Amino acid sequence: MDTSRDDVGIAFRSALLSKSSKQRFSLFGLVILSILFIFAESLELKAFNYLRSFIKDTIYRGSIIVSAPSKTFSSITKTTAEHINLYGDYTKLKLENDKLKDNSSKLKFLELENTQLKNLIDEQVATTENFVSARVMIDKQSPYLNSFIINIGSNKNIKNGMAVLDGSNFIGRIVDVNFFSSRVLLVSDLNSRIPVIIEPSANHAILNGHGESEATLEYLPEVHKLQNGDKVFTSGKEGIFNVGIPIGEVKIDKNAIKVLLFSDLSQISFVNINVNKMDDK
Amino acid sequence: MALFSDRLKFNFFNYLPVFLLFFISLNGKSTVEFKFLSLNIHYILVYFWVLRQPQRLGYGFIFLSGIISDVIFGLPLGISALSLLVIAAVAAYVRVVTVRITLINDWISFIPALLLANFIYFLSLYFSGLSVDYLYLFKNSVFTFIFYPILWVIFSLTLNIMRS
Repeated sequence: MDTSRDDVGIAFRSALLSKSSKQRFSLFGLVILSILFIFAESLELKAFNYLRSFIKDTIYRGSIIVSAPSKTFSSITKTTAEHINLYGDYTKLKLENDKLKDNSSKLKFLELENTQLKNLIDEQVATTENFVSARVMIDKQSPYLNSFIINIGSNKNIKNGMAVLDGSNFIGRIVDVNFFSSRVLLVSDLNSRIPVIIEPSANHAILNGHGESEATLEYLPEVHKLQNGDKVFTSGKEGIFNVGIPIGEVKIDKNAIKVLLFSDLSQISFVNINVNKMDDK
Repeated sequence: MALFSDRLKFNFFNYLPVFLLFFISLNGKSTVEFKFLSLNIHYILVYFWVLRQPQRLGYGFIFLSGIISDVIFGLPLGISALSLLVIAAVAAYVRVVTVRITLINDWISFIPALLLANFIYFLSLYFSGLSVDYLYLFKNSVFTFIFYPILWVIFSLTLNIMRS
């Protein structure tokens, strides 16, 4: 019994502690280093933040270079597929265009009516001039974080919590800021919780991300009159985002009230970051 | 000329595991997703090479590749590094206690490596305050295990070319 325990001990020491097989580092030492790294993540020291920012910026740049061939390959594949589907797309777009032309005249009338009504009640129209544009640098979908990296960071006064928009639609918020890059956590992510308001019922709720599947509305009042197609906007309740940034529309499913986003999160190349509120603070 | 070509070939195959390891990390391709299928090629790569040819895949490189994966995927630094090192540790232990290495032996011993690494991964994510998709983690573990023999064959062929 003692002998077999000794054998296990020797095997364990040989595998983990000794620097065998021309290894420069001990496995045990590196495991300890990894654990220290994980604990260091929770420390908010200035020196650590600088070091983290430097490491992340360097790796992001390296990733861009390494992923260039695969990016080129996928873009060639995409272009080829687009050329093959050209005729089908043309017919579809023609029909869509006719439909849009019809809707356009209705929309112009509604816009005019809306402006007149707003003037009437002296409502303050939110300004949208304080935007900073950025390019999506790396878009690697992680199983845990639906996020991407943009090419601006603290060099352009980007701060954690700022709202990120695709055109005028809300798609996420800043969660990690480095010197020359930032991470955007998308609304579809498991960890994303956004306070929203649903129009026309004016119910408040929390938009909860679920990774691959659609985001859902939670914490709705027990009695609500939501319908398919109701529009979802940011409520601005947390005091960081502006009020009334469009997010998506309601789709009532069997078990959950889902939200179909206005923006296709897999097709984003450029984003706008709303720096309004954070500057005020 | 022939000598130069042989040397180039030798160096290419000698550094292939390290090259693949960093390519996967920097490209963010450690998990391959295809419809409902999801497998972690990072784990398989580390397990195979530490088990069969540890001198070609240093622990330092494995650690560094884990850190890169964490940065690319936006996870707290050290989580992927730790789980990859756990895989490497199990592989190193199996190498020490096993006399004859076969596909079946490798495949079966890959189960505890996978379970332990995913358990560490889950714990680290949980304590870092990140939500965990349990179904995804389970699905990923099952498919990584199922697809191990395919990659085993590919890597074994590479190894044979290296030896020849």
